[in-house]
Amino acid sequence: MSDTPPNVSMKPARKLFLSGASVVWIIPLLALVAALAVAWNNYNSRGPEIYVTFEKGAGIKAGETELRYRDVTVGRVEEVGFTEDLSKVVATIRVDKDVAPFIDRSAAFWVVQPEVSARGITGLSTVLSGVYIEGSWSEKEGEFANTFSGSDAAPLIRPGQSGLQVAFRTVGNGQLTDNAPIFYRGIEVGRMGKAEIAPRGNFAIAEALIFENYRNLVNGSTRFWDTSGFSLSIGPTGAEIDFQSIATLVGGGVTFDTFVSGGDRVQDGTVFEIYPSREEARNSVFNASEVDPLKLSVVFDDNVSGLAVGAPVELSGLNIGEVESLSGIVDYDVFGDNRVRLNVTLSIQPARLGLPGEVSAATALEFLEDRVITGLRARLASASLLTGGLKVELVTVDDAPPARLEATDDRLPVLPTTENETSDASATVEGVFSRINNLPIEELLNSAIGLMNSAQTLIGSDDLQQTPRDVRTLINEVTGLVSSDSVQNIPVSLNATLQRVETLVATLEQEQMAARLLTAVDSVSAAADAFSTSTEGVPELVTEIRAVAAKAEELELQQLVDELTELTRSADQVIGTPDAVALPGSLKDALDELNYTLQELREGGAIENVNRTLASAQNAADNIAVSAQDLPRIVTRLSTLFDQAGRTIEGYNRGDQISRTTEETLRDIQKAADALTSLARTIERNPNSLLLGR
Amino acid sequence: MKSRDANSLQKVWAWWLVGFMCYIPANVYPMLQTRTLFQNDQSTIIGGAVELAQYGSWGIAFIILLASVAIPLAKFWAVAYLALSVRRPGAGFNNSRHLMYEIVEYIGRWSMIDIFVVAILSSLVQLNTLANINPGPASMFFALSVIFTMLSAQAFDSRLIWDGQAKDKGSA
Repeated sequence: MSDTPPNVSMKPARKLFLSGASVVWIIPLLALVAALAVAWNNYNSRGPEIYVTFEKGAGIKAGETELRYRDVTVGRVEEVGFTEDLSKVVATIRVDKDVAPFIDRSAAFWVVQPEVSARGITGLSTVLSGVYIEGSWSEKEGEFANTFSGSDAAPLIRPGQSGLQVAFRTVGNGQLTDNAPIFYRGIEVGRMGKAEIAPRGNFAIAEALIFENYRNLVNGSTRFWDTSGFSLSIGPTGAEIDFQSIATLVGGGVTFDTFVSGGDRVQDGTVFEIYPSREEARNSVFNASEVDPLKLSVVFDDNVSGLAVGAPVELSGLNIGEVESLSGIVDYDVFGDNRVRLNVTLSIQPARLGLPGEVSAATALEFLEDRVITGLRARLASASLLTGGLKVELVTVDDAPPARLEATDDRLPVLPTTENETSDASATVEGVFSRINNLPIEELLNSAIGLMNSAQTLIGSDDLQQTPRDVRTLINEVTGLVSSDSVQNIPVSLNATLQRVETLVATLEQEQMAARLLTAVDSVSAAADAFSTSTEGVPELVTEIRAVAAKAEELELQQLVDELTELTRSADQVIGTPDAVALPGSLKDALDELNYTLQELREGGAIENVNRTLASAQNAADNIAVSAQDLPRIVTRLSTLFDQAGRTIEGYNRGDQISRTTEETLRDIQKAADALTSLARTIERNPNSLLLGR
Repeated sequence: MKSRDANSLQKVWAWWLVGFMCYIPANVYPMLQTRTLFQNDQSTIIGGAVELAQYGSWGIAFIILLASVAIPLAKFWAVAYLALSVRRPGAGFNNSRHLMYEIVEYIGRWSMIDIFVVAILSSLVQLNTLANINPGPASMFFALSVIFTMLSAQAFDSRLIWDGQAKDKGSA
């Protein structure tokens, strides 16, 4: 069975152009369409380009740096270049299409960089990611602009931000810090912008923004003051350090307060002054004067240094203004010579004069004119002794030469002057200082140092170390000696002794012993003569002699001699004791003690006794001396008598017993005579030394 | 046995075209996005190779250029040459053309080594903020380009080479 195969319909291998096309071609077509669609979409969604110029590139990179609005990326820097003259950097930024309509003339651009300041760290995220450009514009669509000028720092007032816009002005030594915060009771209610010097250079000015929420806190009588740094005050309550916060300490700050009520509402653009301290701000409210200050000119003859711009002008101690300017002036026509004079311009606040009625420069001038006629004069006075600073004082001089406050059209009124009061204080102080200067302090110090050294050596020496001990010992000894019974008893003993001597002498006188002896001896002599002429009466003579001898024995010579001997011995004892020997030396050192004792003695009347006693003793001594002078004669006579008696007795052998008795008697008499001699000598020599210690 | 695919050349050209279209963005867009702590770096294939060369790594730069630029371009050229040559009879060198086709088909898959390197790098280096490597848009286009050229090469029926020879002999 073989059938021919059925006819296969043969078609040409090639069909029509499209029918032969493979399905695969769809893929490149799709790819093409997709690519075109993406490209179109890309192009269509592209926003416009804007050109922002900056001072510096500040890290802006093409293709990376973003433009952000409220921290959302709305564009990207496509190119960084320069302006034609290379003076600035131009960043070409492609902004998103949907925000482009809002970017109008008011838009502001600035570079956000990491910033470390006293108030904290900002822009920290840009440390890693690089800087970005922040843009700010109003929320209303406006006419598109594409060229802007960017800044390096955020603007104080961003477009569309509301708040009270004011300006701060400083005069004097106030201080404005860029971007310093404005505090009210410790809360930041605003911010200050960049401070600039006013075109004329006389003050610094900065714009500031009080946030919308706080604008009601500021009114016309609000005063601002600087809180940067810290203030140190030392007062009766101790030292105080005052500062607002660490941030303002470093970065500065401004705060404000409304001290009085009733201020007007403030419009944008009001200029406030920044005062250095709260006190000054407060004072300024009450010293506020709406009127211009009165300008006066004063020409001082002496060109004294020490007056400075800003020095106070005082009237009766009240600060009424300040020195506004200083200059020299030479005017031959007015002053008659070519000396340079000090021309001072005073700025006087009429309000501080407290004039009734209208407060103005004119009324103040009138007032001062009247006062000048009655003698008001300006003079320079010392404001501070330490710094030598001067102030201008307005004082009333009673006998001042007549003068007037001359006001002319082209010149300031000139206030007459009087003698300055500067020289006194400063000259005195200067004198004091020069005297202090001239003091030979160096030599004095050297001498003092030498003295100190010597003293140290001396004090350090062993001898001196021992001195106190010696002195103490000495004093102890002296005290012991003075207080010892023997010394205490000296006056008593003396008294007793002298009394005895007195008694003795009195007795001697009374007894008239010498005379009696003389008589006796004469009698004996006569008897002996008689005896020698007649020997037969010898036994009677012997009897007589025995009687004489007995009488002589009865004369208590023995007792007298004993007493005298004892007196001598006790005197000797007193004199011979070691205490008494050492007494003069010790007494010399303890003179005061002794004087005191003597004084006591005198007060007690003892000294009179002693004096009397001494006088008596003198008398006694004199008598004794007189008596003693007679004694040799007595002795001679006794001796003669003895010889005669001896011869007589030798002639008679029977007279043994008698002669023995006589011998005894005579020996006793001789002893008595010796003792008397000794006593006389002792008394003659000793009373003075005994009592006076010499 | 499989019959000749009549649309073989059409497929070759279609895939070739798509592959070439993909190859353009693969070279224009960045291949690698390297983000370290302080800088963000994007490099294209050629840019990366040039950079490496500037750092002195001539060898690596050469390999990259060879694998990512020279070989793909050579492939495009080779496939186009083969597809055109089969349309023109009497081209000769059938053996060498067949060898070229074998080489192209063999080497095609190795072009994916670039994508492989990028994939490994970006999966290994993910240290969050410190360092980060991500494949760039070019890597996708490059991969697509490689895939399409491979498809293009595979769509080419190597018998067509020899068909031309048969025609030559038949006509002669």
